[in-house]
Amino acid sequence: MRTKLKLEERIKRNSALTALLLVVVAALTLEATSLIQYYYSEKGIKEEASRRAESQLENTRLKIEGVLDQVEAVIGSNIRLTQWGFDHLDSLDMITSIIVRDNPVVSGSTVALVPGYNRKRPKFAPYSYRDPGTGEILSRSLATEEYDYPSKEWFTKAIETGSGYWSEPYIDVGGGEILMTTYSIPVRDGKGQVAAVLTADISLEWLTSYVGGNKVYPEAFNMVISRMGEIIVCPVETLVMNKTVQEASKDFGDQERVGAVIRSMMSGESGMLEIRGKASNNHVYFAPVDRTGWSMSIVIPDSEIFGEIKKTRRLVELLQILGLLMLVTILGFAAKSQNEYKNLSEKKEKMENELNIARSIQMSMIPKTFPPFPDRDDLDISAVIVPAKEVGGDLYDYFIRDGKLYFCIGDVSGKGVPAALVMAVTRSLFHSVATHEHTSAHIVNTMNKSMAEMNDSNMFVTFFCGILNLDDGHLDFCNAGHNAPVIISGARKELELIPNLPLGIMEDFVFKSQKAVLKDDDALFLYTDGLTEAENINQDLFGEERMMDVLSTRRDSVGHLKAMAKAVKQFVGDAPRSDDLTMLFIHYIKSEPGVLKRHLTLENEIGQISRLSKFISNIATSRGLDEDLAMNINLAMEEAVTNSIMYAYPEGTRGEIEVDARVDDDTIEFTIADCGMEFDPTARPEPDINAGAEERPIGGLGIFLVKNIMDSVSYTREKDTNILRLIKKLK
Amino acid sequence: MEVKINKNDDVTTVRLIGRLDTPASQEVAKELSPLQETANGTIILDCEELSYISSSGLRIFLSLRKAAAVKGGKVIVRSINDSIRNVFMMTGFLNLFEVE
Repeated sequence: MRTKLKLEERIKRNSALTALLLVVVAALTLEATSLIQYYYSEKGIKEEASRRAESQLENTRLKIEGVLDQVEAVIGSNIRLTQWGFDHLDSLDMITSIIVRDNPVVSGSTVALVPGYNRKRPKFAPYSYRDPGTGEILSRSLATEEYDYPSKEWFTKAIETGSGYWSEPYIDVGGGEILMTTYSIPVRDGKGQVAAVLTADISLEWLTSYVGGNKVYPEAFNMVISRMGEIIVCPVETLVMNKTVQEASKDFGDQERVGAVIRSMMSGESGMLEIRGKASNNHVYFAPVDRTGWSMSIVIPDSEIFGEIKKTRRLVELLQILGLLMLVTILGFAAKSQNEYKNLSEKKEKMENELNIARSIQMSMIPKTFPPFPDRDDLDISAVIVPAKEVGGDLYDYFIRDGKLYFCIGDVSGKGVPAALVMAVTRSLFHSVATHEHTSAHIVNTMNKSMAEMNDSNMFVTFFCGILNLDDGHLDFCNAGHNAPVIISGARKELELIPNLPLGIMEDFVFKSQKAVLKDDDALFLYTDGLTEAENINQDLFGEERMMDVLSTRRDSVGHLKAMAKAVKQFVGDAPRSDDLTMLFIHYIKSEPGVLKRHLTLENEIGQISRLSKFISNIATSRGLDEDLAMNINLAMEEAVTNSIMYAYPEGTRGEIEVDARVDDDTIEFTIADCGMEFDPTARPEPDINAGAEERPIGGLGIFLVKNIMDSVSYTREKDTNILRLIKKLK
Repeated sequence: MEVKINKNDDVTTVRLIGRLDTPASQEVAKELSPLQETANGTIILDCEELSYISSSGLRIFLSLRKAAAVKGGKVIVRSINDSIRNVFMMTGFLNLFEVE
C-alpha cells in the first residue's frame, strides 16, 4: 500500500515537472522565433525603403535630364541659324519666335548680343515669348534701360563659362508667377569671336507636380533645392523660392546632422543619412542633378518605415502571451485531472489530447486555403499534410512575391512535441528570410546558419526550397537533404540534385542553387518520405514506382493529391501509419497575354454537372461573354460531358473526366478527356429534326446540340484516352 | 429545380421553376411520369420561370408529346424565354409543340 502511494506521488511530481518544462520550452521557442522574425523583417523593410527611395530619386533624375536634354537639343540645333542672323540682325527676332513656336517646352527665347559687338547697335536683344493667356508668340526687346541684360546671371555665366549654363530657378513675374529656369549658351561668329548669348526659358511647373505626386510613402517629404540652396520643390508651398534649405531646416532636429546633409547635397553628392528629428527619426536620401547643380532629397520618417512591423510585433507578442496562458491553463487542467485518474491508460489518453492541441497549433501555421491564388490563371497549386497518429514535424509553405512563387517543403527529424516546435521555427524562418532574399541558396544558407547556431538538441530538417518565376517558368531551387521532387513534363522524372546536407547540421556548409525551366503545363510534385515509406501490414513500402504510377494520369493539383492519398490508404490498409505524409503539387501554366486557361477534374457521376456549370459560368464572367452565348456554351458542354459521364466507364466503376478550357479574344476551346472505353460521339447519326412526334426517337439530341452550338467538334483517341475537342468562335 | 402540378378537369398545368439540367431532369422525369397516363387531356408546360434546359429536359417534353399523340391529347408549351426558344428552334421542337 505504501509503495503504491509513493509511485502515485512520483508520477504526479514528474508530470508537473514535465508540464513546467513544456511551458518553458514553448515560451523560449516562441520568443526566439519572434525575435528572429523581427530581426529579418526589419532588415528587409529597411532595404526595401532604400530601394524605393533610391529608385524614386533615379526616376526623378531621369525625368529632369530628359527635359534638359530636350531643351539643350533645341538650342543646339539653332546655333547655326543664329550665326547666320549675326549678318541679318533684323531677322533675329524671327529666329527666336521660331524656336518658341516649334517647341512647346520652351516658353521664351532671346539672342542677346555682346555689348559693342555691333557698332550700330551697342545693345541688342530681341526676345520672343508665348503669351500665357492666348498662346500667341509675341516679341519685344530686352535691351532696355531698366533691365540691363548684360548684367544678368544667364548672360554673364554663359560668357564666363564659355559653355551652356542653367540659371538658378526664378519666379517669372510677367508670366503669371510661374517657376522658371533659363538655359543659355554663348554663340561665336564666323571668326570665332563670342558674339551673343542664345537662351531658352522653360517652366518648372511639371517638376513640382511630378516630384510632389510621386511619394514612396504617404508621409515622405520630397524636396529639390538649387545650387544656391534655394528650395525649388517642397510640399510646404510657403517655402518654395522663399527660403533656403538652411533657413527652412533650422528647427528640424539635430542641427549637426542637418548641416552634414545640406553640405553633402550642395556639393553634389548622393547618399543616405539618418537625422534625429523632433518627432521621430528620419532617413534622408539624396542625389544630385549634375547639370543644373540641383539636389533632390526624400525624407522618410522612421515611423512610416517601421510602423507596420512594430504593430505586428506587438500583436505577435500578445498572441504569444495568450498562447502560453492557454497552454498553462490546459496543462493546469491536465495536471489537476491527472490527480483524479488512478490508472495509467487514462493518463495516456490525456497525453494524446495535449498532443492533439500541439498538432492543431502546428497545423494553423501552414497555408490551407485552396486555391490559394484564385485570381491567377498561371498557377494551380495544392498541398496537404496527412497527419500520422503522433505529432510530426512536416511543413510546407508558399507565397507569391514580385511575380515569383516562393515555396518549400520540409521534414523535421524525430517526432512529438520537439519536432513540432522545430517545425514551427523552420516555417517562421522560411517566411521571414524568403521575404527579402532573392535566391534559393541565400534562403537555405541563412536558414541553415540560424538553425545550426541554436541547435543544441541535434535535430535536423530535410528541406527543399524553390523560386519559380511565373513569367518565364525559370525555377531556382536549393535542396537540403530532402527527397528529389518529381518534375512532370511529358515524362515524369526526378529533379537531379547536387550533393547536400539537411539543415541545422553544419553551420558553414555552403548550399548551392540549381536551375531548371518549367514549360507551359509542366508540374512539380514535392513530398516527404511519409509517402514513399508508407508501410503495409507486410512491411512493404509504397515506393516510388507506385507514386509515379499515380502521377501518370493527367489531373488538376487537387485531383493528384486526392488520388495519391487514396492510393496510399489502399496500400497501407489497416497498418498503423507512423509518419506524416506531406505533398505539394504545383502545376505551372505559362501565361500568354490575353489568354485564359482553366482546368477541371470531374468524377463520372451526374451530380458533377453543377460543378461544370459553375466552371463555365466563371469563365464566361471573367471574359465578359454575353448571357445567351454563355448559356449555349454551357449547354453544349453539359451535353458533351454528360456523354462521358454516362458512357465512358462501365457501370459501377469510378473514373475521372478532365476538362480543359482555353479562351483568347477569338475563340473558346474545350477538351474533354476520359480514360474510358473507345467511343466517338460525333459518329452517331443525326436525328431528323423535321420528323413528326411519333417518328422522332427519344434520344440523340445531346450531341446534335453540341454540333449545332459549336463551330468545330472533333474526336480523337490518343493512347487510352478519348479526347473530344470543342471550339466556338467568339468573333 | 421545382415542379408544381395543378390539375383542373382535363387540363393539367405544370409549372417548371429553375434549371432543367441533366441531374434535375432525372428527378423531374420521375415526377412527371404519371402524366403519361392522363395524356388524353391537355397538358400545359408553363415555362415562365424556367431558365435553362438541356437535352435530357427536352427528352421529357418529347415523351409527354409522344404519349399525347398516342392518346389523342395535346401539349402546350407556354412562355419560354428567348434562349430556350433558340434551343427549340435548333432541335425542331418548335414544330412539335404548340408554343404560346
